[in-house]
Order: sequence, then C-alpha cells, then structure tokens
Amino acid sequence: MSNSQYNILSSRFDRTDGHKLPVYEADGGYKALKMVLSSMQPAEVRDTVKESGLRGRGGAGFPTGVKWGFVPPDADEVYFFVNADESEPGTFKDRYLLDYDPHGTIEGTIISCFAVGDRLAFIYIRGEFGWLIDRVQAAVDEAYAAGYLGKNILGSGYDLEMIVHKGAGAYICGEETGLINSVEGRKGQPRIKPPFPAVAGFLNKPTIVNNVESVASVPWIINNGPEAYKKFGTEKSCGTKLFSVSGPVKKPGVYEIPLGLPFREFFHDWLGGMVDGEELKAVIVGGSSVPVLPAAEVMNVNLDYESLANAGTMLGSGGMIIIPESCDMVELIQVLMHFYYDESCGQCTPCREGTGWLHKLVKKLRGGEGTAGDLDLLEHVCQGMAGLTICPLSDAAVMPMRSFIDKFRPEFEALIQETAPVAGSSRWPRGEQE
Amino acid sequence: MAKLTIDGKEIEVPDGTSLFDACREARGEPLPHFCYHPDLSIAGVCRLCQVEVEGMPKLTIACNTGVRDGMVVSTRNERVTQAAQQILEMHLINHPVDCPICDQAGECGLQNQYMKYGLYDSEVEIADKVNKAKAQVIGPHVILDKERCVLCSRCVRFCDEVTGTSEMGIFNRGNRAEIGTAPGVELDNNYSLNTVDICPVGALTSRDFRFQKRVWMLKAANSICPGCATGCNVRLDHEAGRLYRIKPRYNPDVNGRWMCDRGRMLYKAVHDENRLLDPARGGQTLRWAELDTDLLAGDGGLFVTSAHQSLEEMFLLKKLAAGGTVCGGLAGSDTGDSDELLLNADHTPNRQGLGLLDLPEMNGAALAEAISGTTGPVVVHGGNPAGEDVVAAALRGHGRTVYIGSHDNETAQACNLVLPGAVWAEKAGIFANRDGRLQAFSQSVARAGSSREDWRILAELAGGEVPGSLRAVREELAEALDLTEVNLNKLPARGLAPVGATSGGED
Repeated sequence: MSNSQYNILSSRFDRTDGHKLPVYEADGGYKALKMVLSSMQPAEVRDTVKESGLRGRGGAGFPTGVKWGFVPPDADEVYFFVNADESEPGTFKDRYLLDYDPHGTIEGTIISCFAVGDRLAFIYIRGEFGWLIDRVQAAVDEAYAAGYLGKNILGSGYDLEMIVHKGAGAYICGEETGLINSVEGRKGQPRIKPPFPAVAGFLNKPTIVNNVESVASVPWIINNGPEAYKKFGTEKSCGTKLFSVSGPVKKPGVYEIPLGLPFREFFHDWLGGMVDGEELKAVIVGGSSVPVLPAAEVMNVNLDYESLANAGTMLGSGGMIIIPESCDMVELIQVLMHFYYDESCGQCTPCREGTGWLHKLVKKLRGGEGTAGDLDLLEHVCQGMAGLTICPLSDAAVMPMRSFIDKFRPEFEALIQETAPVAGSSRWPRGEQE
Repeated sequence: MAKLTIDGKEIEVPDGTSLFDACREARGEPLPHFCYHPDLSIAGVCRLCQVEVEGMPKLTIACNTGVRDGMVVSTRNERVTQAAQQILEMHLINHPVDCPICDQAGECGLQNQYMKYGLYDSEVEIADKVNKAKAQVIGPHVILDKERCVLCSRCVRFCDEVTGTSEMGIFNRGNRAEIGTAPGVELDNNYSLNTVDICPVGALTSRDFRFQKRVWMLKAANSICPGCATGCNVRLDHEAGRLYRIKPRYNPDVNGRWMCDRGRMLYKAVHDENRLLDPARGGQTLRWAELDTDLLAGDGGLFVTSAHQSLEEMFLLKKLAAGGTVCGGLAGSDTGDSDELLLNADHTPNRQGLGLLDLPEMNGAALAEAISGTTGPVVVHGGNPAGEDVVAAALRGHGRTVYIGSHDNETAQACNLVLPGAVWAEKAGIFANRDGRLQAFSQSVARAGSSREDWRILAELAGGEVPGSLRAVREELAEALDLTEVNLNKLPARGLAPVGATSGGED
C-alpha cells in the first residue's frame, strides 16, 4: 500500500495486522508513551513538539506546539479532540492512518493529552467512515485492556478516557468549532471567534483540536527527538507530510514525502507521470479548497508551505488532484461549487447565499445560457464572500472559483460564446448534473 | 476607559464596551446590522457590521469585537461600505421583494438598509430565487414567511435566552436553511409577539395586526400597559381614532424591550362592543345635561374606587367622599396568571396606588354590608365589584347607586345611574406599578360615544369643590402624597421610582 520512502507516518501501512496491538507493540509501539509518562513533564512534551516545528496537518498549517501553548496554564479542565472528519475533496490520508495504524494515532493522542493536561479525549470520525469507526473503537478497547487508557496509565498516576465519536456526515464539522458544537449535540456550525477553543471550547472549557496526522507524528518526534524530525523538510516546513494523490497518474495513492520535495520530482519519480494517453493540465495541490495550478506553474513549485504560498496556492490537507488535459475545467468547477453549496452551514449570509449563487451561475454557464457579464458577475460574487465570514468555508469556495477563471478563462469564455467546450470530453452532458 | 478613534473622531468609552456600541456613539447611528440585538447573545452571522480596524488584515464584525485603547477604526471608508453593500446584496438575492404585500414594509430593516447602504441594481432574476414556504401559521399570534427571512436568528435566540422555551430553530443548511418550529411544536408562549418586534424583516408578522394597516399611516402615543401591576411601558399605534397595536417601549427599569402577548391584545377592549357610550338611568339613555345636579346630596355615602383607576381619579373620589366612607374596591379582584418574566399575578395597573392614598379594599361580604348600611349615595368608580353576587344584591337593594365605568358589566347592570367613563387609552393619568413606581400615560385616541374623562365626571359630581384641570389635580395630589419636590405633571421618562428604590439613572 505504501509508496513511501520515508517512514515517520506510513511505515506500518504495509504491515500485516498492523492495526492490532501486539503487532504495534512488537514494532516498538507505545514506547514513546512509556517514556513520556515515566520521565517527562507535560511542559517538556509541549516544548519538544514546538521545537520539532510540527504544523497542523489538517489544512491551516498552524504550529501544533504553539496551539497547545494557548491553553491557559491554570485551566482546571481541558478537552482534546482528534479531528478525523476527513472530508476535503481529494483528501484520503487520515483514513489510511486510522485504518492501518490506529494505535499510532491513539498513542500520539495520549501523549498530546498528557502535554495539555487533558483527561477526556475524543476521536471524531466522519460518519461515512463506518468500518473505520469499528476499527478505531477496537483499537481503543485494546488500549484500555492493556492499560494505555483509563485510570493510572502504566502506573504513572495519569488518567485519560477516550471516546470514539461518530460524525453525521457534514464537511463543516471538520472545522474545529463546528466539530465541538457537533459533539455537544448542537447544530454543526462554526462558532464566532473570539473566544478561541483553546480558551473556551467544548463545554466552554479550554479545548485543543488536532488533525489525525498531526497527533500521529508525535510518537516519532518523542522517540527520535525534534532535531531528527527537523532533518526532514525545509527550515519552516519541517518533517514529512502525507499526500493523497488521485487522478490519472501511473501510481496514485498515499505518499509520505519530506516537505520541500519539488513537485516535478514527485510527479515523475514517485507518481510515475501520467498514464499513457493523458497529458497533465493542472494540479490542485492541497485539497479542493486551494487555488488550482496549471501544469506549467506546478512544475516549478516545491511541496512545502512557503513555496506553495509563493505560487499563489496552499499546501492545505495534501489532497492532491491531478487534472488531465481531457478534463473540462468548467465541469470540474461545477462539481466543486455544488460541493460547497451543499456543505455551507448557512449561518453567515455571504457564504449561505454566495455558495448557492456561484453554483447557480456555473451551472447556467455549462447549460449554455451564459451571458457576456457572467464572468464579471462571478468575480463580483466572490468579492462579496471572501474574508467576510466566521469560518473559511466561504473562502474555500472562492479560491478554486477565482483560480479556475483566472487560469482557464478561455474555457469559460467559450461557453459564453455558445461554442463547444475547448477541452476534452465531459463525463456528464452539459447542464445535466447538479 | 478606552480611548479610540472612529472615523477620525476620538471617543472614550468604558472598558468592555463592544465596538458596535462605540461605533454607534461615534457615528450617531448604528452600523448596518440584522443579527445584533442588545438584549440577546452575539450571533455574528449577518456579517453587516464589518469595520476596518487598523492593524487587522481582514475586516472584522464590530458586534463581536471589544474596544481596545488606541484602536483606530474606519466605518465609512470605501472598503467597508463596499463590503456592507455586497453583504446586503447577498441578503437580498433570495429575498422575494414582495414589499407591496408585506406588513413589514415601512419599518423593514432590509428596506431601510438598502436605501442607506445598498442602492445597486439587482443581478438576480426573480425566477432564479430559492423558493420557501410562505404564510405559515406557527403559533396563536405569529405567522412565518420563510422567503423573507434573513436568518439573523434573533427569534431563535429570544426563545432560547429570554423565554427559555426554545420553540424556534434553524433547519437545513446552506441557502436551504430556514427558520421554523420543530414538528408538533408551536410558537406558543406569552411573549411570542416579541419575536415579531425583533424580526428585522417581514418573516415573522403578527396574525392580529396583519393586513390591518400600513405602518406609515400609524401615529404613536406613549402609554403604560394597564394589563397587570408590572406597568410595562408601551407605545399605542393608532390612526383615525382606532388603536391597531401595542408595542413595548424601552424602559430598563421596568420591562426592558419586551412585553407580554396578553398585554398587546388589550387594545381590543377599547373598541369593544359593550363599551358604555351614554349616561343611562334604569336602562334609559340620558344626555349629560339631563342629569340631576344634586346626585350626591345627603350625608355620608359610600365611595368605591378600583385598582384600575388612575391615581388622580382615586384622589378625586376620596376628596368627593368627604364625610362618607371610601373603599379601594373588591379585595383580590382581577388576579390570575403570572410568570417570572413580566406578567404579574395582579392584573390591575394601580393597586399600589390604593395603598398610597390609603384606600383599603374590602371583601365581597364587607362591601355588601357597607352598601346596605349607608343611607347616603353609593358611587362605584370602575372595576366590577358586582361580579360577586352579594355585592350585586346589595347594590340592587340600594336606592341611590351610581356607576362610573367604561364597559357594561354586572355592576353597570346593578346600579341606577350609569355614567360612561374613558378607558386608559382615551385619557391621561398616572399608575403606580408593583414596585410603587409612578408612571404617566397619555391619551392616544378620542373617547368613544359621549363618554367623558373620569376626572371631569368626578369634578362635576363634586360640584366645584375640586380643581378645574388635571394639572391642578396633580398638584394637589403631589401635596397629599407628600411629594412636594416632584412635578407629577412631568414625570421622568422612566417613571418616578419610589423612595429608596434603585433606578438605572439617565438614558
């Protein structure tokens, strides 16, 4: 399964029965936890993770150790959530971690909880991941039975309970405050900030929400030290990152790469280039919410936070979508705009109305009813949505929309001029899908 | 205190003030907004009150931002006004713009803010709009139009935070999101019409007021609700001699911004069919000029007022009774439902006034005995003591009984002479609420039929022994109450708090 040459996160993807506790222990599992509980103070753990330069792997890239540091030192109750609501289109890395190495995430979570002083942790798993919920629950049960969870863990005096929570299938519950609302039994929609969850989150208590991949990196960092972690990656983008690659490349799948790897090298040497008969047209590097890069531009970027930001896009979740020349870009953006229209929680007006409006306009274009002012109108709508809402879902719709028009304008103009699409065939007849 | 600069103007506000309030103070008008409400939690969803704060890359909503010393804020620059215009456009793209048939027209947040911050040409075809349910009855008083809703969530927060009844919710998501009640749940609490007041658009309208009157034709008069001892400050909306609705008027010391649904419906009694319109003796209509001049001749007599009358009227009746017996009415009358919010179990507006003027109430038996025991005239002013059979029998058995009242009832039926008085909306006066706070109400509509202001009727009965104007009555009243420092003709806007009580001060 693993296509990786690096093994911080993905070393156990190929292991037979790797999800089982005895196998995990035989591979050196829970060694980091034992070390932490026997010889480290919470502050030392926080410093170690901060020192490693680990950044949140869910999409925003905020330094994990810094986030932990926002919990008020005198907090009496702290809550910790592992965000496994992986639903960014194009992203399928966290499910690999939980499927093939659930104990890696559980161990990372226990260490993280110890670091922030939490006694109750939740693993919030996307509702559609039915089998995964069972698998993680089984692993948690094993951990309880072995004394890695519960009261007085490994005789250290540290107590931690862990609940596997099933989401109900909303993209917005992957936003950390939407996730907290959802667990509290409220409607899954983001909260206004301030207050930030590290100060007042779950039940108004300090709460940390971390992505699966972030916490799964923690045991390795503890075992090998922050300096070893920093040997991978670049100065500001430390360590390795999982990329989930889909599209017509020869070897799609989940890859662990050192941050800073040139895309060109990744594409040719790791992914094997395009399948025969397809040409690379564009790449969405980090999940559907980031701006698209045409082939010519993407060949010059390195896969790290800074290089991608300089190129006008984002590392995001690492959900890489390879787009071939045969793909109709207007059709693709229609699919994406339908997604954001469908998933907007409807709370903030610009997003509630704007995502619907964008989708309607793109659908109209593809239906052959586009008029001369429509591209300007699309930009106008984007302007009314960008940066004006509680959470970034509105921006997540605007970024691909704007970049698609910006980079592939002729395809949109061709529709307005009532001619055939300039690009290749469409899977759906024009105007027939949502 | 925090010093900040808003639109180039320096202001100083207490720490902890929200930037929204600071901007209101600096601008002299609020920022555009739908979801912000001073008495509800911050939702931050309409996104209209965005301002530019120096040092912050993005625009920020003022309602969820606290002031900081040294803050430099712009609320009117191009970036901010453009954002407000675009967000307003978002609010309107799926709005049906059915103002010609919408009751909210004329007092609508969307209309007002469009005229101020919008004024763009629409880019949306009517046929492209999202359609939702219209004219859905969601409770005894409120009707919902989901298309007009801007999803500000004020009604939801009101039911969650003020009444605690949580009938309302937002269902579905994206542009399919809509306000509603859960299946089988009605918006049925005693404060449901407040949701209509705080709804900034025509989504929630009053079933009672719906289609009755265009709001711009209404005139308003300040008044006090007579429905219970709380004395909520209200505004009477009227036109051409008719009342159309009662709305709460802000008084932080009494009712805040709310009032109960029961109180709102009291205007109906003003135009009730059983109003007393003309003087009558033994069922025969009289003209005022035909009344005997010596109605009260003779010694003693019994003078019964009620907790529904104004302080001035109680005072005059007591004066009139010089030598006779006075009574505050039937003890325990007009009590009923109450709640923890505003509605008091005492459903009269001025029972405290009886205490101030030392007018003791009597129970039915005692009152009947007092009536039978007097040889002088019996004057009953307001209330309905004959609702108790013993009192009715005593009144019937007495030769000289006068009832001054506004509505036909058992007491009017039991008395020889009936004189039509005015209801509270047709006269001016002062009530003392449950806390003893003196609050003035003013006349809003003309009196029905040939009814007269009660104080004039009493003055006439007294035959010149009382002052000739309400102003003069109040001056005497102030003296009698030992309120010499107070001008009862010009009470403070929030009413006169009883000595020792705390008042919120200036506002």
